[in-house]
Amino acid sequence: MASAWISPPTRPENIDYLVSGVDRYNPSNVTILEDYLYQQIRNQEYDCLANLAILKLYQFNPDLYNPDVIVNILIKSLTASPLPDFNLCISLLEDKPISATLDEPDPLPSLLPIIQELHELLDRCRFPKFWSVYHSNELENLRDNYTVEYAGFEDAVRAVVVRAVKATFTRIGTERLGQYLDLEGPELQAYVKNLGWSVDQSGTVINIPPNPDNQIEATVVQENIKLPQLIKVISHAAKA
Amino acid sequence: MAQQRMSLWAAEDIDEELQDVDLSLAIGNYGQNGFDEAQIPPQIDESSIIAMQQHMAQQAAFAQIPDVVKAFIVHFHQAVLDNNLNEITIAYESGWNKYTEKFYSRTEWPEAEIIAPLVNDDPIFLILYRELYYRHVYSRLQPDIDDRFHSYENSCELFNYLLNSDGPVELELPEQWLWDIIDEFIYQYQVFCTWRSKVASKTDEELGILEDGGGASLFDALYIVCSDFFKQVWSSYSVLNVLYSFIQKSKIHLYIEATQQGKSVDEIAEIVGPYGVRPLYRMLGYFSIIGLLRVHVLLGDFTLALKVMDNVDLNQKSPFTRVTACHVATYYYVGFCYIMLRRYPDAIRTFVTILNFIMRMRQYHTRSYQYDQINKTADRMYALFVMCNALSPSRLDDNIASAAKERYGDQLAKMARGGEGALPAFEELFLYACPKFINATSPPYEDPNAIAQILQDSSPDTYVDPAHRQLRLFLSDVVTQSPVPTLRSFLKLYTSLGSQKLANFLDVDEEEMIQEMMVLKQCSRSISRVGGDKNNLLDGQTITTSDLNFVIDENMVHIAESTVGRRFAGWFIKNTERTQRIFDDLKNTPLPTPPKGVTSVSTADTSTKQRPAGKVAWGNVTSKP
Repeated sequence: MASAWISPPTRPENIDYLVSGVDRYNPSNVTILEDYLYQQIRNQEYDCLANLAILKLYQFNPDLYNPDVIVNILIKSLTASPLPDFNLCISLLEDKPISATLDEPDPLPSLLPIIQELHELLDRCRFPKFWSVYHSNELENLRDNYTVEYAGFEDAVRAVVVRAVKATFTRIGTERLGQYLDLEGPELQAYVKNLGWSVDQSGTVINIPPNPDNQIEATVVQENIKLPQLIKVISHAAKA
Repeated sequence: MAQQRMSLWAAEDIDEELQDVDLSLAIGNYGQNGFDEAQIPPQIDESSIIAMQQHMAQQAAFAQIPDVVKAFIVHFHQAVLDNNLNEITIAYESGWNKYTEKFYSRTEWPEAEIIAPLVNDDPIFLILYRELYYRHVYSRLQPDIDDRFHSYENSCELFNYLLNSDGPVELELPEQWLWDIIDEFIYQYQVFCTWRSKVASKTDEELGILEDGGGASLFDALYIVCSDFFKQVWSSYSVLNVLYSFIQKSKIHLYIEATQQGKSVDEIAEIVGPYGVRPLYRMLGYFSIIGLLRVHVLLGDFTLALKVMDNVDLNQKSPFTRVTACHVATYYYVGFCYIMLRRYPDAIRTFVTILNFIMRMRQYHTRSYQYDQINKTADRMYALFVMCNALSPSRLDDNIASAAKERYGDQLAKMARGGEGALPAFEELFLYACPKFINATSPPYEDPNAIAQILQDSSPDTYVDPAHRQLRLFLSDVVTQSPVPTLRSFLKLYTSLGSQKLANFLDVDEEEMIQEMMVLKQCSRSISRVGGDKNNLLDGQTITTSDLNFVIDENMVHIAESTVGRRFAGWFIKNTERTQRIFDDLKNTPLPTPPKGVTSVSTADTSTKQRPAGKVAWGNVTSKP
């Protein structure tokens, strides 16, 4: 699981070379990494470490600062919840130097609190609230200028929901799941079917197939002695 | 530059020796230059007088050095010349500290220029001497802006000599010193960055000086920081550059790989080349990896910090453990990264390992000059351990857990209870135990307008120091988790219960509560290195971290608890081993000679009297468990 996060199978070789070598510090490579970010956005790929490398370059070279790229990285990392990716990105954003000159007004200061709120809602599994905030008028700017470019943004959020639901439920009410996924009617039916989940006869409850996290069992863990633990004792006895 | 600083430093001495200097200067002039005196242009005369004065001041300062210190420096220099590791180690670890305590606990050591005659102006020794000199300034005194720049200059000279001489240098230094060089370099970088970023917000009183017009020198100093000439000084790039250069020069990664594959000494020598075979370069390479780990943590890049540790074995046999300070620092930073990656079980394991080590080595290291430092780091790790334990309760090690409770019992109780009251406790411990985070970039000193603006609106809202930035991120996770302990304590009482009923108990909305349950589920899963790739600190797999498991079947919560059977075997093995040790020790102890004047009869008497008592005592002990 973690290894796909460290090095996603979709990562091209030249990016891998950049991310794992000293060349990641070279400011002239920032465009390569930024292009790769937009590729991730178009193709529903995700590469956290490569995006962190962009933020690292921004951290060392304030003149590279590009708020659009930062917003896109943050939106990308939103949908990695419950992994800490979003905070890891924020951690690299230092107070922006005041003298930074931009052609247009900087969108980041106004967008950052909004994205942070979305992140908090996802992290705390407040899915219905997330959707209502996301669809609210205040977020028009974010939707029209950023998430619209992000291929499958809403589905990526739904994937976060599915991860949480799958681990917690064996059966869940259709209405409840619909609120979590922001889907209803035939759309919801199709989505659930696509996941391989089944709806019961009444149509009000959805069965979630067993997985490692929604199987519970009361166990007693017994200790297990391995030979190496006894080496000192036995060898001492042999010597004596 | 060095001469200027010299005069500043020696200013007091010059005052004291004022008459002396004038007198000898006059004699000198009359004796030699009497005739030409009129023809020398006044400026040159002045400068030569200054030079003379400096020379005299130097001599005066030289005369003030106690003879034992002079002898020590000569001896130290000889040890370095001979490449005598043993003598160098003694001079470095005890001599220097001894004379620091005795003569220089509150003042600088003599300037390198002053002791230069003692060591035949040996440039290499003087660089090493300055390394110690500045380290002493940083640790015992308050470094001024000149010290900051010159310590950087000196580090650069040292690294230049090591990296850019023709081929590897012959010098040998103790491992402890090599670690201290890297460690101090990063420490001074961190201190510089903190100092640099603070100037903007703290100059209230200094602003007053500026307004009076008397603060020009201060302003110059600030300006220097960012003029192009000095832009390099303590920049993040220059620091990374040094560390990466050592890593590449020593081919340390190839060395580690080769040793892991069990290659022979000759094979390894061939792989790592002329630099890597020398212990000095190899260890500098090794320590530079740890240095990178630290720098990246300070900059808030926790994934990269762990990534540079790729291939480095994190176990007690690894070479970096030979220097205790390095060993402790490595675990501290790795553990902290895990906290920020929300991998609390990994953080706990990391801290437990090193805290156990520190506990055990305490008896051997109490006299080491680093003992205090190590103890402080250990205290901070106990605090981090307590935080992790509150977020992800575990029963990994009772010894450490009880030692941590002794130190931070109050906070642990508050944190484990969860809810609003937990936040201040988390905040307190985090700020106490976190690394000294820094900003990578400097405030825009080169732009006086921007600086003025920063100074103007330096309210707490606009300026967030890096430690508080990290604190906020950490607390965001704490807040997410804050309802968990209460939920958990309710679930523990049932094997199944309706969600409506549970919501009533908690006095919250049912839907809210169910969403909270998903958070609880996520909190009891974590990525962990357990069973993962040993050589890759980022890797891991999802594990269950809680003994309480539950699942929701539409509106019914089912709960199952796994219990850990009592662990007897570990206890018995530990105590058997201890008993064997005591038994061996007893067997190897020579019998006590009976004290003179006591007859053999009486000794026999007392021993027979004591024996039954001893038996009873034993019987008591064995029956206890």
